[in-house]
Amino acid sequence: MTEHTPIGYKCLKCGKIHYPRHGRCLQCKNREFEEVAVPTKGKLVTFTKLKAPPSGIASRSLFLGIIDLGEVGYTGQLDVENIDDLQVGMELEATWKQVRIIDNRAIHGFVWGLP
Amino acid sequence: MRDVAIIGVGMGSRWGKYNGSLIEMMAEASLSAIDDAGTDNIDAVFVANMGAGRINNQTALGSALIDYLNLFPAVGASIENGPASGATAARIGYMAITSGLHDVVMITGGEKMRVAPGPVVTDFVATMAHPEAEYIHGITFPSLGAFLARLYFEKYGVTSEDLARIAIKNHQNGLKNPHAHIQQNITMEGILTSREAALNNPMIADPLHLYDMCPVTDGAASLIMCSMDKVQEFSNSRFVKFAGTGQGMDTMAVHEREDPTFLKAVDIASNQAFKMAGLTRKDIDFAEIHDAFEILELAELESAGFFERGKAHLAVREGETELTGTFPVNTSGGLKARGHPVGATGVAQLCELVWQLRGEAGERQVLNKPKHGYAVNFGGFGNNVVSTILSRVEE
Repeated sequence: MTEHTPIGYKCLKCGKIHYPRHGRCLQCKNREFEEVAVPTKGKLVTFTKLKAPPSGIASRSLFLGIIDLGEVGYTGQLDVENIDDLQVGMELEATWKQVRIIDNRAIHGFVWGLP
Repeated sequence: MRDVAIIGVGMGSRWGKYNGSLIEMMAEASLSAIDDAGTDNIDAVFVANMGAGRINNQTALGSALIDYLNLFPAVGASIENGPASGATAARIGYMAITSGLHDVVMITGGEKMRVAPGPVVTDFVATMAHPEAEYIHGITFPSLGAFLARLYFEKYGVTSEDLARIAIKNHQNGLKNPHAHIQQNITMEGILTSREAALNNPMIADPLHLYDMCPVTDGAASLIMCSMDKVQEFSNSRFVKFAGTGQGMDTMAVHEREDPTFLKAVDIASNQAFKMAGLTRKDIDFAEIHDAFEILELAELESAGFFERGKAHLAVREGETELTGTFPVNTSGGLKARGHPVGATGVAQLCELVWQLRGEAGERQVLNKPKHGYAVNFGGFGNNVVSTILSRVEE
């Protein structure tokens, strides 16, 4: 498994897949998980164009959304030019990119764009 | 278990920008509550604050406030639970009294936020988000408010006009509250429908405009709680009953919730508070709702069980939640007009409930002698919520 594939944490007892990681399963409280690949494509649940991004974001505005990958959700940046490019329910695909600079360190994560 | 009363409340000077120190600001509010209660015979002090360690370079505020006001031999501590710190501290005060450990407890909430530039404050608040799944991606609380608003727009037909109606209502109430930070008469034309509206009320996090969210505010609020069986020993004031408290939790990452439009923690906290108080939703005469974003006023009213899901905006359109409506909401002006110094908000909500129940809310007084008031103090983005019910004690 590479870090460039969206992953989830599958409970070894009940099979529930989580993202992000938890110390105990949200369903059965089991403590053991395995990393599993989750889909790289998902549906946009909700979104915004943020005009006042926090520090460590170079652009003057930032598109953000929640993406439904089936068994898990992801929250992340959206790689579009215009808010009119976005619609609830549209399909988006993950790409591994730098998302922010925090304490002078480049932070990478999945950014979601048109397939 | 002993019943608990609130025997004094106070908010010091008007909220907004405070020029003194955080402790001086909290001391002003504390002294106004002490004067209102008519006693400084306090056993314990719980100070509600979210971020002084980060933005004011000061920690251990309970110790600092006791020292500054010479409340010795009172003992104290700081309580941090994000924007729900205030009602959480009151809940802990309630526990301290009902357990028999203390008889009189002072709760003071305060936050001095305007010392830092806007992006720093936004980032400070965003540290409540999930560190890996939300924060690193640039998630801020306005963006979470926008996510919720868009879901409400899509699912229930709520509009920008509905959010503006709530803001206008809360600013109208704020004009009648001498403690409110923003005392401004806003109109639908001024913030939404005129040509100038785009300048007056820019989009911040689509679909949320500037006037769909609370300002950044310095402020403090305080209340004195006392065991009901000791009230006559300490109080020269009118007192109200701390009738119910509840606390509920939800997942930290919003995307892990089955239905992000239903605020599960509000539902849990409210059900607990109503059960403890032995009351139903119909018994509540007015409410203080945590409208950090105006969309939250709708979602919290519904999740707390006051309106059917997806229907609260229809009640707002009918004027039901206005000061003269059948169920006044945010008579103080809410977070929108009073302001939202995060650690102070939950305490200020209870101050408003007390003033209303004592019939001392002046121009914003709810009519017909209200008997029961409800408050919801919303922490994180709804992953940690405290609901409180206060009741007038019959003479």
